[in-house]
Amino acid sequence: MYAKTVMLKNASGLHARPASEFVACAKRFDAKIFIRNLDKPGAAPANAKSIVRVLAEGIPADTRIEISAEGGDETAAVERLAELIAAGLGED
Amino acid sequence: MKIFKGEPVSPGVAEGRVCLYQAFTCDVYETYVQAGREEDALKRYERAVRAADGELLRLIDSFSAENADKAKIFEAHREILTDEEIDGEIRAAILGERQAADFAVNRVYTEFALLLSKVEDELIAARATDIRDVRNRLIRILHGEKEKNLSALSGPVVVVAHDLLPSDTATMDRKNVLGIVTEVGGATSHSAILARSFGIPAVLGVPDVTEAFTDGAYATVDAITGEVYLEPDEETRLRIGKKRDAFQKDRLDAARYLVDGGRLADGTHVDIGLNIGSGAEMDAIQYCDFVGLFRTEFLYMQTDRLPDEETQFSAYRDVLQKAGGKPVTIRTLDIGGDKTLPGLSLPKEENPFLGCRALRLCLRNRDLFLTQLRAILRASVFGELWVMFPMVGSLDDLRAAKDALSEAMRMLDQRGVPYDKTIKTGVMIEIPSAALMAADIAAECDFASVGTNDLCQYLNAADRMNPDVKAYYQSFSPAMFRMLKMIFDAFISAKKPVSVCGELAGNPAAAPVLAGLGLRKFSMNASSVAGLKRALRQIRLDDARELAERVCALDTERAVKSLLGGNPV
Repeated sequence: MYAKTVMLKNASGLHARPASEFVACAKRFDAKIFIRNLDKPGAAPANAKSIVRVLAEGIPADTRIEISAEGGDETAAVERLAELIAAGLGED
Repeated sequence: MKIFKGEPVSPGVAEGRVCLYQAFTCDVYETYVQAGREEDALKRYERAVRAADGELLRLIDSFSAENADKAKIFEAHREILTDEEIDGEIRAAILGERQAADFAVNRVYTEFALLLSKVEDELIAARATDIRDVRNRLIRILHGEKEKNLSALSGPVVVVAHDLLPSDTATMDRKNVLGIVTEVGGATSHSAILARSFGIPAVLGVPDVTEAFTDGAYATVDAITGEVYLEPDEETRLRIGKKRDAFQKDRLDAARYLVDGGRLADGTHVDIGLNIGSGAEMDAIQYCDFVGLFRTEFLYMQTDRLPDEETQFSAYRDVLQKAGGKPVTIRTLDIGGDKTLPGLSLPKEENPFLGCRALRLCLRNRDLFLTQLRAILRASVFGELWVMFPMVGSLDDLRAAKDALSEAMRMLDQRGVPYDKTIKTGVMIEIPSAALMAADIAAECDFASVGTNDLCQYLNAADRMNPDVKAYYQSFSPAMFRMLKMIFDAFISAKKPVSVCGELAGNPAAAPVLAGLGLRKFSMNASSVAGLKRALRQIRLDDARELAERVCALDTERAVKSLLGGNPV
């Protein structure tokens, strides 16, 4: 198990296009990957490879999120996804 | 032959075979398979997924070249179709609980759609529609039915439906849609906006057509007068055929003027504005100088909830970016009267047009108003944005509206969000009291736009929706032109821009008179632009001035119409 906390900075939060980018990237790894909204008390980890689960979290901009993974490529997966979020998920 | 009557919302004439469109409704019952048959049910599900994916890929392929936005919708559908959580739950339901494939698909997809519809973010909640669309596609395939939607029509048809949903029109195979007839909707509905932006003749609000019309019946749609004929007789077909030819000939002739700038015969420059209800109508901005009226009601009508600041901001920004620096006039929410909102319950009024509508309603629902004003202000940094308040009747109204705008600015200041601090603020003049006070109003705002439809209704005390008082709704009356003169004079002498964005601005018969009264900014629907440019090119400024003077001196609407010649309305 490997985890990392990052700040979601996209102006519009994690929806539509940014969410698709994120999920598409997560699917490239074998590990089980989860995303959790740290700023929402009681939020459970959601499957990062499921677009509907990620969207259902409705994560707004300026939110701390935890990315965790379990499996062979867990470290690479978390690092890559954290980078993607830091780079703004393809948004301006 | 049967004749039906409705509201013409996108002009033109169409005739052809009917495609009676009904959105697929999935009747799914709670069914289970026998023990030992789970694998068969799973195979049926897997085959359906492959078939659905094939359909989606073909749709993406057919749209990607001409319409990338449509292709993106289907890309999103493929993402949902292969979602591992949805897929996992369906497999578990089939294998673990022996649910039949269609029952499992229906249950799981519906649950996820519900989950998304509860998300606070509007844009995400709207994605529930996509989940339902994919669900319906799978169930239809499982039930062995062919795809019936408007995205892949076999040939040119007249579409007859109860209503068209945004998802239907977004994917519509528009080159094969000759005309649109629906039972519900009016000039400002979603279907109307799309029909106009695609140039498809449409008559909406025609009662009982889905019962009277059958697939393959022959229909003639006169979207100039609003008549729809079922199995028209020879004489009607001949008459409507001539009308269509004349309409098309006139369209073609006017189209030659489309790319020209707006000017009179002597070269006097005139700004041509575009009226829109959404970003989808911005194609025609290339032939126009500004957006004279961006109606924002459309945004509020899409879902059962009020659109949040973010949703509005991105819609306004989209229009500003498409305008490429040309001024965009956004009108704040104009509901009440004949227009209601699904997301806001309004008390029933005895006399809604004289009641709590538009600005009055916004001032009473301050949070609703402030949300919109913040979204507008935020979008103002993406181009040249002007904000306009509807239903201003006095200086009190204008001052209260400006006060709300200042409050919205302070809220953004606190959040450190940038906006155009010198944003132009204007009023829609549509109440006679505001016309009489035009000089005072001009002193306290930056511009005005005249809404001639409401102004005419209030000036003549005639409900424009009531056919019994049609004769009293006189948009060519001398009173109307005299009142317009007062408004133009006040703003011209205050050196503040004034435009007309009501229907009169797009009427070729009224154009010379308005130009003669001093108007230099005409704003209208895309379909009127070419015809209006042509009308303006026919007259010199000095002749227009003389004509306007004569019109204002006349005593009845009949006299004005006979002076202007032909049948001006």
